[in-house]
Amino acid sequence: MRPLTPRRILAICGMLAAVLFVVVVISLRVGAYPISMRDIVVTLYNGAVGNGDASEFSQVIFGLRLPRIALGILVGAALSTSGAGFQALLRNPLADPYVLGVSSGAALGAMLSLIIAPHMVGAIQLAAFIGAAATIAAVYFLGRRGGQLDSATLLLAGIIAASFLSAIIIFLLTLVNGPGLRSMTFWLMGDLTAPPPTQNVLGWFGFLYFIFIVAAGAMYTTSSDLNLILTGEQEAGHLGVNVTRVKLVVYVAASVLTGLAVSVSGTIGYVGLLVPHVMRMLFGTDYRLLIPTSAIGGAIVIVLADTLGRTIVAPTELPVGAMTALAGAPVFIYLMRRRIR
Amino acid sequence: MAAIEARRRFFVMALTLACGVFACSSRDARGAETHLQQSATAPTPTPADPAAQTAANKRATKLVTDETGRRMAIPLNVQRVVSLAPNLTETIYALGLDAKLAGDTTYCDLPPAAKEKPHVGAPQDPSLEAIVALHPDLVLATTSINRAQTADALLKIGVPVYTSDPHTMSGMLISTATIADLLGASEQGATLVAQLQQRLDTLHVALRDRPMAHVLFVVWEDPLISIGQNTFIADALRWAGAESIIVANQNWPQVSMEEVVRLQPDYIVLTADHLAAETHEHVNNLRERPTWRELRAVELGHVVMASDEFTRPSPGLVDAIEALAHELHPEAFSTSAAELAPNFSQWIVGAGLRPAPTTANAPAFAQFALAQSRTEAAVCAR
Repeated sequence: MRPLTPRRILAICGMLAAVLFVVVVISLRVGAYPISMRDIVVTLYNGAVGNGDASEFSQVIFGLRLPRIALGILVGAALSTSGAGFQALLRNPLADPYVLGVSSGAALGAMLSLIIAPHMVGAIQLAAFIGAAATIAAVYFLGRRGGQLDSATLLLAGIIAASFLSAIIIFLLTLVNGPGLRSMTFWLMGDLTAPPPTQNVLGWFGFLYFIFIVAAGAMYTTSSDLNLILTGEQEAGHLGVNVTRVKLVVYVAASVLTGLAVSVSGTIGYVGLLVPHVMRMLFGTDYRLLIPTSAIGGAIVIVLADTLGRTIVAPTELPVGAMTALAGAPVFIYLMRRRIR
Repeated sequence: MAAIEARRRFFVMALTLACGVFACSSRDARGAETHLQQSATAPTPTPADPAAQTAANKRATKLVTDETGRRMAIPLNVQRVVSLAPNLTETIYALGLDAKLAGDTTYCDLPPAAKEKPHVGAPQDPSLEAIVALHPDLVLATTSINRAQTADALLKIGVPVYTSDPHTMSGMLISTATIADLLGASEQGATLVAQLQQRLDTLHVALRDRPMAHVLFVVWEDPLISIGQNTFIADALRWAGAESIIVANQNWPQVSMEEVVRLQPDYIVLTADHLAAETHEHVNNLRERPTWRELRAVELGHVVMASDEFTRPSPGLVDAIEALAHELHPEAFSTSAAELAPNFSQWIVGAGLRPAPTTANAPAFAQFALAQSRTEAAVCAR
C-alpha cells in the first residue's frame, strides 16, 4: 500500500471528478427531447452570460435537465458520505444512512405536511427535514449509555425508532385521505423530479450545497481520528483521540447529510450502503480518502442511475431508487467476489 | 497539528467539490432564473425557437384559474394539447377535437385511435421532456390520477397545465365544458354537456320511484379495495340507482371480507377491462372462492360487470351509468336495454365472469389504488 499523501488524494479525487464530468455531459445530452451537443453548448453559454432566452432548448436544459443533475449530485454525495460515516460510527458494515430511522422520521414529516398543507410550497422539504432532525435527537438520547454514545445501543434505538415511525405512517395511510398522498408512493421510492420550491433556483441549490459542504467538511475533519477509532475505541483513546467528541461530530454530520438528501429526494436506497464499500474495495479503507471518494462516487452513481432511469424505458421513467439497486447490486457482487479471490 | 492538517485537507476537498460541482449547478440555476424572469415579462418566444410557427398563436393569452387553484396564462388560440389522463383524452375525442391532441399517455386506450398518438409516459410519472418536445400550447391533467408535482414542474418552466378535479357527475360536466372552452370549442362543449345532462335527467326520471340497490363496488379484488362516499364513482353509482354499502371517508378504502359478509350487498359490481375480449373465457372464479361464494349476491348471480369507464370521469361514463342502471333496474325501463345503450351487452357478461386482475390490463386508477396500498409495504421494508 502506497502512503496516503495529499497529492494522491487529489489525484484520485480528480480522476473521479473527471468521470463525474463525463457522466454529467452524457446526462445533459440524452433524453426524450432531442438536442444536439452544439445546441447544448450554445444554450449553456447564453445562460451563463445572462443571455438566456425562453426557447424550448433552455426550458429543457435549465428547467429540467440541469436541476435534476444538480440534485442528483447533491443527493448521491450526501447519502454516500453519510453511509461511510455511519459505517464507522456503528462499526457495522451493514449500516446505511437510514439505519437509525432518519428516513422514517423524514417520511412521517413529509406525510404530515401532505395531509395538513398539501399545496404549501416547500412544506414537504421543510417538514421532512424537521422529522429527520427530531428523529436524530430522539435516537441520540435513547442511544446513550452512561453518558456515552454506545454503538450497539444506538443501533437498537435506531431500529426501534424506525419501526415505530413506520407503524405511525401505515396507521395514517389507512386513515387519512389527502390529495397529495399519491406523491408519497414516489417519495418512498426516491424521486429527483420535484421542482425546486422557489423561483430562485440558484439560491436554492446554493443553500443545499452549503449545508452539504459544512456537514461533509465537519465529518472530514474527523477522518484521521476515525481511522484510529476503527482499530478500537480504547486504543484510540489511549492515543489521544477524544472519542466522545469525534462520535458526536460524525453522528450529527451524517444525520444532517441524510436529512438533507431525504428531504429533497425521498428515500433512495442502496447508494449509501454500496458506494462506501465499493470505494473501500477500490481505494482502501483510509477515511481521509474514503470520505471524498464516496462523495464523488455517490454523485456519479445517482446521476448515472437517473440518466438510465429516464432513457431506457422512455417515455416512462424508472424511479432512481429502483435503478440504483438494479445496476448497483451486480457491480457490488462482482467487486466483492474479485476481492475474495 | 493534526487539527491544522485536517482543516487544510477539508479546504482541499471543499475546493475540489466547488470546482467539480458548483461550476455546473450555478450556471444551471442562474440560467433558469433569467429564463423564468424573461418568460414572465415577455412571453414571446425568440425566432430561434423550434416552435416558431406557433409563436403567433402564443402571443394572445388569457389568465385562467384551474380547478386546483393554480393561475396561469393560456393561449387564446390553443392548437396543440397534451392530455395526461385517459378520461381527458376521451373528453377531447368526445368533443371532436382530436386534431388538436398532440400527445397522450400510455394509459389512453379509448377510443382506439388514442393509442396512435405520441405517448409521453404513464400518467403518474410522464416524461416532462417528452411533453415539451411536443410543443404543447396547453397540457391537461386531473387530480384523480396525475401528481401535483407534474403540473408544478411544467408550470415552472412556462408550460400551462390546466388540472381538473371532478368529484361528481356535475363536476365532470363542468370540466368538460371548461376544456371545450379552453380549446376554443365552446359550442361543441355546450352541445355535448346538454346531451349528457339530458340523458342523466332521463335516467333520474326513470329511476325516481325505484329503491336504491345496495352494491359492493370492487376496485381491486385482492386485497379487496372499494370506494369511499366522496369519489365520483359513488356519485355515478347514485345516478345508476345504486348506493355503495361501504361508508368510508378515504377514497379507496381497503375493506375486510367480514364487513362485506355482514353488510350483504344486493349486487356486486366489478369493473371489466373493456379491451379484454377474453373476458368471457375467464373462469367463474368468484363462485369457487371461499367467503365470496357464500355471499347472497354471488349465490343469486347478482354479479355485474360494469364498463371500466366507471373509473374515468369522462363523457363515456354516462354510457356506463346507463348500462348499469339497466342491469340493476330492468323493470324501470320500458324500452329495451340494447336500444338505449348499444354497448351494453358487451359489458354485462353475467354472473361471476371476471378478467384476471393482472397489473398490465387493469384500469389505470385501480393500479393507482394498488400502488397506494403498496406504499405500506414500502414503508415496512425500510
